[in-house]
Amino acid sequence: MSDEIKDTAWTRLGDFLGKFFAYFIMVIFALMTIYPLFWLVMNSFKTTSEFQISQLAWPRAPTFDNYKQAWWMGDFALLFPNSFIYTIGATAGIIFLSLLAGFAFAKIPSRATKPIYASFVVGILLTTNTLMIPLFLEMNLLQLYNTRAAVLLVYIGSGLPTAVYLATEYVRSIPTALVESARIDGAGFFKIFMKIILPMSIPVATTLAILNITGIWNEFALINILVSKTELKSLPLGMFKFSGSLSTDYGKQFAALTIGMMPMLLFYIIFRKQITKGVAAGAVKG
Amino acid sequence: MANRRKVDYEARGAYWMMVLPAFIIYLLVMAFPIVLSIVLSVSNYSGGQMFGGTEKWGFAGFGAYAKVFADPLFWNALKNNMYIVAVSVFGQIPLGFFFAYIIFRRTVRWPDFWQSVLYVPNIISVIVVALLWQTVFSPHGPLAEVMNAISRHSFEKQLNVLFAATGAAVNGTFAPNDSLVTGLLKLVGTAGANMFENPFPELKDLLLSFQGSKIPEVMQALCNLFVPGWSPEFLNRPDVAMLPVLFVILWMYTGMYLILFLANMQKIDVQIIEAARIDGARESQVMNYIILPALTGTIVNSAILAISGSLSSFALVFAMTGGGPNHVTEILAIYMYNKAFLGASNFPLANAISLIMVLISFILIIITKQLEKRFGGKEE
Repeated sequence: MSDEIKDTAWTRLGDFLGKFFAYFIMVIFALMTIYPLFWLVMNSFKTTSEFQISQLAWPRAPTFDNYKQAWWMGDFALLFPNSFIYTIGATAGIIFLSLLAGFAFAKIPSRATKPIYASFVVGILLTTNTLMIPLFLEMNLLQLYNTRAAVLLVYIGSGLPTAVYLATEYVRSIPTALVESARIDGAGFFKIFMKIILPMSIPVATTLAILNITGIWNEFALINILVSKTELKSLPLGMFKFSGSLSTDYGKQFAALTIGMMPMLLFYIIFRKQITKGVAAGAVKG
Repeated sequence: MANRRKVDYEARGAYWMMVLPAFIIYLLVMAFPIVLSIVLSVSNYSGGQMFGGTEKWGFAGFGAYAKVFADPLFWNALKNNMYIVAVSVFGQIPLGFFFAYIIFRRTVRWPDFWQSVLYVPNIISVIVVALLWQTVFSPHGPLAEVMNAISRHSFEKQLNVLFAATGAAVNGTFAPNDSLVTGLLKLVGTAGANMFENPFPELKDLLLSFQGSKIPEVMQALCNLFVPGWSPEFLNRPDVAMLPVLFVILWMYTGMYLILFLANMQKIDVQIIEAARIDGARESQVMNYIILPALTGTIVNSAILAISGSLSSFALVFAMTGGGPNHVTEILAIYMYNKAFLGASNFPLANAISLIMVLISFILIIITKQLEKRFGGKEE
């Protein structure tokens, strides 16, 4: 009897210590995320000289000057539309093309499906970052260097392997009978795609949108080698400009970083649940 | 018969119309660059117009590969990639698993909150992350400020004690005496004493010059003089420059693995766990016999993602250190980039590196397929 009591006492102590330990590490990690970002935003309201006096204190006279100047110096008025064009264009392209291919792979029998589908799956682990240099040379060869087309092409191509895999798996789960009965009614494949497959694929399209919107909006490595004209640059390239000769002008740098980080942060706050689900679904290795 | 044939043609036409757009773009962006890098890596192409240009180029043997393998910087970059993989496998994955586990088992409250916060670094641009942490780790960044504030604070405390003990503070003004000088010399030790040729009289003269000043002013001056300014020179010191990079990678991606593990844990039937607990299974048994077996596939999957991720972590290192100081933080992608764009372009070499990275990816894909056979199926 007394042994049992002792046992539960020990278990309770163990539970308590476990809980304490769990909270402790969790809180440390959370603070390590929240505080630096808060610190960044806070210091974007200081002048650089005030920043140099104290980096930890609350701004004495918060100023928006940094934002005005960073906006102008970073050409953000150009970068924002560009980022939207690349993100929306490439994401829409990836979704449409992958569902189209996924429909063909899943519902139209063909001997070509096996090798072509397999080649897409291989591409999932083949990151385009490793192909940066040949891609740069290829775009020069195709005379697409410094064009929006190059950026869109590369982004769509990079996103396709995972997207085709997810889309095909998804379309496979749509009953074939639906497609067949529509065929008997005389509908063509494209009509079936537009009228049946596309509306039914909204869940997977959402996952693909989530995965690609965050990825493309933040993409840096590839666009960095594909364009050099300011009119074609995206937000990450614009922010990077503040790391060079402007790197010690902390106030403006932080304002630029805050401007660049806000859209995705808002996107995350709004679509948090879907993003979390999409990330888990999209982490496929093929 | 004729009718069926017509249907077949229509299906075939539709099939290719639907597959080709995606397939052609895929070939252009993934397959063609690989072919191009194979060709260029064994050529003597040195930039300029590739076809119809004035500069002729052609086959030049496998010299580029020999050069890469003989280059210590290549091995250094490969080593750094390995470090990144190691941080993932031994840092992010266990931590992510731990966080997912305590959320899944409701050890901590507010599951959504923790999950959301820990994932934030994945959402913001790598450039923001890189430049933010670059400032934090910079010699005059907030880390330095915190550390210096702490050491000044403790020195001031010691001074307060010393002032009180020697009676050097009279009504808030400074009145130095011999025992203060002795005490102070003791306090600052050899480092402080080395500032003077003849410590005792020199320090005494110095202190006498403050006679009658306000105590805080004296403290301030003594702190400036004796508390060494500390600066975290991580990013400038070759031997430790990689540590901040690895820390940031750990910081960034742990949340991603948390989400991955949690999503897969949530597929486990909670009733099985509850039944096991009612039957007297300990928490460690629940872990070993229910949760871990269910997640084996996810863990293997994560390790593979970590390796392919290390090959594509170009932007973070590029923006944070640029591969410096003196190449020590170069990873393969940066090493390749520098060969192509830094100084004199060496495209054969850069393409050889690209191809080596592609080969590593292919080896990875083969390993994945083997592991999939062993652990069976997909767990996503």
